[in-house]
Amino acid sequence: MLSRVSIRSGLRLSSQANKLGSRNLMVYHRLHNVSSDGNLQGLNEAKDEVTKRKPLSRIAIGGTASQSQKASGGGSGSIEFATWKATALVLTLGGTLYYFFAKEKRRLEIEKEAEANRGYGKPLVGGPFKLVDFNGDEFTEQNLLGKFSIIYFGFSHCPDICPDELDKLSVWLDGLKKKGIEIQPIFITCDPARDPPHVLKEYLSEFHPDMIGLTGDYEAVKQACKKYRVYFSTPPSLKPGQDYLVDHSIFFYLMDPEGQFIDALGRQYDEQTGVAKIQEHVNAYAPKEQREKRKEKWYSFLFN
Amino acid sequence: MGWFSKTKPMDDQSKPPSRSSRKQCWESRDGYFQCLDKISVVNALEPKHQSEIQKNCKGEEAKFEQDCATSWIKYFKEKRVVDYKREKFMQEMESKNAQQIDLSGMVRR
Repeated sequence: MLSRVSIRSGLRLSSQANKLGSRNLMVYHRLHNVSSDGNLQGLNEAKDEVTKRKPLSRIAIGGTASQSQKASGGGSGSIEFATWKATALVLTLGGTLYYFFAKEKRRLEIEKEAEANRGYGKPLVGGPFKLVDFNGDEFTEQNLLGKFSIIYFGFSHCPDICPDELDKLSVWLDGLKKKGIEIQPIFITCDPARDPPHVLKEYLSEFHPDMIGLTGDYEAVKQACKKYRVYFSTPPSLKPGQDYLVDHSIFFYLMDPEGQFIDALGRQYDEQTGVAKIQEHVNAYAPKEQREKRKEKWYSFLFN
Repeated sequence: MGWFSKTKPMDDQSKPPSRSSRKQCWESRDGYFQCLDKISVVNALEPKHQSEIQKNCKGEEAKFEQDCATSWIKYFKEKRVVDYKREKFMQEMESKNAQQIDLSGMVRR
């Protein structure tokens, strides 16, 4: 601005002074002195221009109303204007970034947990099995592909824990459905002797309609349970028709769409926290292809 | 039950227990346990309590045994002892200002 003043003529000095904003008081003062001396013709003319409109003494400090308006547009006032705008911008940006980083951090934690549970090479939990569903159709680990599944082991003559847990699972399934998450619920019996397909069908009909019941011969069920690290015991000497209980471990096994185990949910999860945990896993899930690809990227350390 | 008057529906091994029969069993169990609470009996399987149970909770016991499968009866009686001990332990720990730690959120590696 100042350098521009020097190359312009004295005639336009007064208008330059207006634009100078904060400096205009000083310039006017000089203008007044110079013009009363009458030494500089050009500045005299400028003075006439100003005095014709208003005597200088009546011009308010800081310029006229229109001048001060201009000044506030580009002068000292602009700092205030920029400050609140910048503050708002920093707050919004900072808040948004914090939110996304916190969210992403949690997502990565969950993903790491899932990856640790998937294990390397031979799966720690899960693997091939061959059972029969309650309609008499074959059901293998292939049926787990393409969707998230929850697997629960139990038996129909279970006194209190299994029905409670299955009711809880029903609440989870409905809760997840409301959030747009479809899970395939699977019930595998640990008591094939008393739970043939038609019994399972009858038993599960009183629980969630999506539930699939699996059974098989004793060896097949034993193998499937072993794969899922489920230990169950039936009393050694059984007479036909005898009443007995089966001890078994009680976990919900969450399987990803590749049929791999990602988490075990125990009794500590209630009707709400279970939904939240499963939802976190579903949201954090990245297909195997994507996971492998990411390992080769420069930012792969983020996922280790 | 006609000819098999000694068997009860809950002991039918060819059919799974239904929701309603489970509910009935649980209610009878709760009634029986409430009666045991009144006479301060925790372990109903102990022989020394038998006469007292027979005297005070005969009706409740009969209903409990009729409504629940035989294997469940033993299970519930045992569970009552375990639950009692557990609760007592927790109370004792709480009185000693012990803190319960939730290990559910641990990441397994």
